[in-house]
Amino acid sequence: MNLEQKPFFLWRHLNKLRWLVLSLVFMMLVALPFVHVYQTYVASFSYDLLDSDEKELFDIMESLTSPFTDNPADELDAIKGNTWSGNFFGYQISDPLAVVGQTAASLSVYWPFALTALLPVIFTLLFGRFYCGWICPATFLYELNTIAALTLQRFGVRVGHRHFDRRLKYLVLALGLLLSAFSGSVLVSVIYPPAIIGRELYFGIALGGVGAGLVFFVLTLLFDLLVSRRGFCRYLCPGGALYSLLGRFRLFRIRRIVENCNDCAKCNAICEFGLDPLRDDFGQECNNCTACIAVCPTDALTFVSRLRDDENQGPGHLGKKYKHLQQGVE
Amino acid sequence: MKRRLFLKELIAGAVASSALTSSLAEAAFSAQTSQRYLRPPGALAEAEFESRCIRCGQCGEVCPNRCIEYFDFENGVDSLNTPYIVPRTKACILCMKCGQACPTGALQPLERTAEDILAHVKMGRARVEKSLCLSYQGKTCGVCYRACPLQDVGIRVGMLEQPHVLDGCVGCGLCERSCIQLPQAIKIIPQHMLKSSASS
Repeated sequence: MNLEQKPFFLWRHLNKLRWLVLSLVFMMLVALPFVHVYQTYVASFSYDLLDSDEKELFDIMESLTSPFTDNPADELDAIKGNTWSGNFFGYQISDPLAVVGQTAASLSVYWPFALTALLPVIFTLLFGRFYCGWICPATFLYELNTIAALTLQRFGVRVGHRHFDRRLKYLVLALGLLLSAFSGSVLVSVIYPPAIIGRELYFGIALGGVGAGLVFFVLTLLFDLLVSRRGFCRYLCPGGALYSLLGRFRLFRIRRIVENCNDCAKCNAICEFGLDPLRDDFGQECNNCTACIAVCPTDALTFVSRLRDDENQGPGHLGKKYKHLQQGVE
Repeated sequence: MKRRLFLKELIAGAVASSALTSSLAEAAFSAQTSQRYLRPPGALAEAEFESRCIRCGQCGEVCPNRCIEYFDFENGVDSLNTPYIVPRTKACILCMKCGQACPTGALQPLERTAEDILAHVKMGRARVEKSLCLSYQGKTCGVCYRACPLQDVGIRVGMLEQPHVLDGCVGCGLCERSCIQLPQAIKIIPQHMLKSSASS
């Protein structure tokens, strides 16, 4: 066994960083509507007209923001929007699915908007479906949902572990775009969980009422819980389908070091997307979430930069199966 | 004979069901333009607006007046999650921030100048209901005129402060919001309803 092939030690801590990013993005989506409500209070000079709850919000927001700005009505606009399309310190960034959906609905490309998806597309070409693992606000809730499901399972509740065809989501993407083109209205945004989360959080906090999107999202949560673990992302998400297609030949991918592997299959058990790291089958679905790297007891998974996965490298060299094979040869 | 009858019934059933589903689809997908709502300022024409708007909600999130609300199913599936304004609840103050925030061009980016607003903002047009208006009943009021951001361009007042809507009206709805009559004596007729009445 050659020990030079140890993965870079930081890779196994990326999963913690990922949870930090996910929760920061989600907290940002919760905070932005509050910021907006506060801005409207300031803009209307209406402190004396607010009721006690609203005054409380005003006071809290004022104490949080007063060190940074004297003019919150205009100057707190640095971050606006959500992960579907948002303004980040002057840079407009949009989901590629929004651009594809708008193009389908209006049957023409509107370049000023299409270019706002350039940065996400470049990152997806490099890192694959990273958005699904690292940024998507729905992923944050879906992964908590998975943890809840596994906890329930420990107490003897039956949760869903059914498998479907992964290619189903490409059909959903095609149908969503066809529906958008047919209706002349960007309807893919209505079945895309991260867009729904961004909107419904704003509706719920700033406008005082949630819409039908939340019902849809709760249904997907129940689907994940009762039918198939992380089923919506794996089999149905139209955005996931688009990211998978874009990230098929991603430059940075996870690879199994067969010399270090002992066939324990913990990677397969932890994988949210139901992939098969143990047999080198990551494919275009892998979202580089690095949960498998973090869980691997023998440092057998690492990041590499190459355009394709390995073919199945066979049983891990530390496992029993490999030893039997070796003895058989001798 | 029997088989032919069965085939006939089958075909008739198929035709009927396809007609039913297409009419259902039409009911669900075509916007009910009879509803009186305004799109935010600088919006494209209704059909084009729906094909451009990606429902990101940024127009509402920059509105300092929080007058932009979002459709659920009230206006058909096509309008799901698109922004609208009900002027009597809260009217637009023509700050033009929403158009500058809109990434898709569904709301055109406009400057807050009289030229830009008069040239490109077409939310609707105000209409006075004389039988409800106080000024037309001899009780001098003039609140709508004073609320108007485009005085003497969008609206002027005559004798007893009786309002007359002019061609410069962009339909922001501040007059309707401020009308002290109940029900309001001045209403914005949205652009999509103006067009349909003009064409028919």
